[in-house]
Amino acid sequence: MWNNIKLAWRNLWRNKRRTLITTASIVFSVLFASFMRAVQEGSYDSMIDNMVKFYSGYLQVQDTAYWDEKTLENTIAYDSTLAGKISNMKDVRLVTPRLESFALSAYEENSKPVFVMGIDPEKEDGIIKLSEKVKKGSFISSNDKGALIAEGLSKFLKIGAGDTLVMISQGYHGVSAAGKFAVRGIFKHPNPEFNNNMVYLSLKTAQDFYSAYGRYTSEVIMVNDHYEVDHVKRAIQEILPPDKTVMTWDEMYPELLSMIEGDRAGGIIMLWILYLVIGFGIFGTVMMMVNERKREFGVINAVGMRKSRINVMLFAEIVMLGMLGAVLGLVLTAPIIGYFYANPMPMPAEMAEAMEAYGVEPYMFVSIRPMIYINQALTIFILSSVIAGIMMITVARLDMVKALRG
Amino acid sequence: MNILETKNLYKIYDETSVPVHAVNGIDLVIKKGEFTAIVGPSGSGKTTLLNMIGGLDKPTKGEIIVNGVKIHDLSRRKMTDFRLKNIGFVFQAYNLIPVLTARENVEFIMHLQGRSKKERDERTENLLKAVGLGDRIEARPSKLSGGQQQRVAVSRAIASKPKFVLADEPTANLDSKSTENLLDMMEKLNKEEEITFIFSTHDQRVVKKARRVITVDDGKIVSDETRKTE
Ligand SMILES: Nc1ncnc2c1ncn2[C@@H]1O[C@H](COP(=O)(O)OP(=O)(O)OP(=O)(O)O)[C@@H](O)[C@H]1O
Ligand SMILES: [Mg+2]
Repeated sequence: MWNNIKLAWRNLWRNKRRTLITTASIVFSVLFASFMRAVQEGSYDSMIDNMVKFYSGYLQVQDTAYWDEKTLENTIAYDSTLAGKISNMKDVRLVTPRLESFALSAYEENSKPVFVMGIDPEKEDGIIKLSEKVKKGSFISSNDKGALIAEGLSKFLKIGAGDTLVMISQGYHGVSAAGKFAVRGIFKHPNPEFNNNMVYLSLKTAQDFYSAYGRYTSEVIMVNDHYEVDHVKRAIQEILPPDKTVMTWDEMYPELLSMIEGDRAGGIIMLWILYLVIGFGIFGTVMMMVNERKREFGVINAVGMRKSRINVMLFAEIVMLGMLGAVLGLVLTAPIIGYFYANPMPMPAEMAEAMEAYGVEPYMFVSIRPMIYINQALTIFILSSVIAGIMMITVARLDMVKALRG
Repeated sequence: MNILETKNLYKIYDETSVPVHAVNGIDLVIKKGEFTAIVGPSGSGKTTLLNMIGGLDKPTKGEIIVNGVKIHDLSRRKMTDFRLKNIGFVFQAYNLIPVLTARENVEFIMHLQGRSKKERDERTENLLKAVGLGDRIEARPSKLSGGQQQRVAVSRAIASKPKFVLADEPTANLDSKSTENLLDMMEKLNKEEEITFIFSTHDQRVVKKARRVITVDDGKIVSDETRKTE
């Protein structure tokens, strides 16, 4: 075995320039593919991160009927044991209750339908950093009777901090809801839509407004990143009573996931094309390598080396060629990705503006998920194995007598 | 003792419109210790005959018995293993693996045979010294002359302790001095170690060294002379 590898390694360097060119092409493709995938996955991570931060959370526990019919009738009663158990689960960073509904808001001459979210201000702040986004006035506290309203909405209603917002709606069990709320502060919501219609109340105040005492629409659960969602979901499912369900961000917003998947597929197809081209390059090199050695194969077979052993040697040679490029490619990729991971590159100005308007941080993020890099090496391994396989068939079919005659 | 025997051996190439009778009924017996030349004009069937008795090619018809084994019946894979154990080869050129040194080329075959490292090391060194390459042991083939390369090839051929060594025009690419050297060396190995050599050649100087000369033409043996050794 060791001798086979030694022989294969030396054979690899029979034509230094050819091997170097082939290696360089593999290095380039691995570098390019890794970088492209890292940026892709990094941008998805950032998109998902933004979405879950500003709205859905990674997971939500809800009444089983809530998602299909978002009314106050389908809310859940507070269950501190459940919330406690979930908070103690591995990878769960935060659990916070919400009560969400709609209302018609008014101030002096103007009125506008709004989205009302009853929150635990301190916990929610841990997700969205709401307090940092307050432009005027102040943030709300836990049992605050006042409201925090979005900047766009305040402009529309021409209402400022200190003024009183009036809201009417329908409460729990059809009770009519009406209330006056002192505007504590104005904040800028990163999402332009929410920025035009969002009103935050403390959970207690929202429950009072809707006469939904002790009830809430969902328990929002944050984990560290979306790769942790699946196992947390499974863990929650195990302890959930039958009237409650757990939904993940991608179940709540499948559009985002399908957008990501579509984009990812596009990127992967592009890489396939790249690898196909590289594959043909390797194939050409290897074919030359085999063709000019037919006579040699004839000789070593004549003196007693079985074709199968010649093929083992050849396989080792070709896979070594591929892996040499793959390993070098990854070695070169590591510092580049490391650099951009530590120092995300800012996006060009126009793009940055658009991104910021959608509440996305205007940086090019790279993902350092090992699978991205392992996949590139694996692709090269499979590619070179397939090429080696084809060459092995060529050798298996080789007429050694003809090969000897040269 | 007969180490090689062919009976009514034929090789007919019928891929072409007119079938070529490359070997056309050859009966041959080779005994241990022979130093035999196969001569004949180009296209007379020397290579075809050597390939068949070396177990590289299969006859169309007839029998080949090496050391009591009917090798024409063996599968390709068994034939390869049989060659490894029983037959040494020297070809006209490009015998050696270019990325291996002289030592490694000779060792290579003993490696395939699964011989111990100690045995390999000793035998390789002795053989390369015996063929006058004691100081070129670590050289790669590209650093050796054609004659030196052929001597390494002969060392490799006998390293495996074969029943006989087949050499198809081993001197065709050599100048007369190297040719003489190689032949002297083969003769010495034949006499001192009783190694059987069967070689084909065009070269009259080579023919002169042979103790038995088999002449073939059109795939048939036309003469078979054994000379008295002095
Ligand atoms: N694969 C083949 N297909 C068809 N005919 C072949 C094939 N191999 C050899 N021949 C023919 O068989 C005959 C004998 O060829 P062979 O190579 O054995 O002759 P040779 O005596 O070794 O000649 P040379 O001295 O030129 O090496 C020739 O007529 C040759 O053209
Ligand atoms: Mg010939």
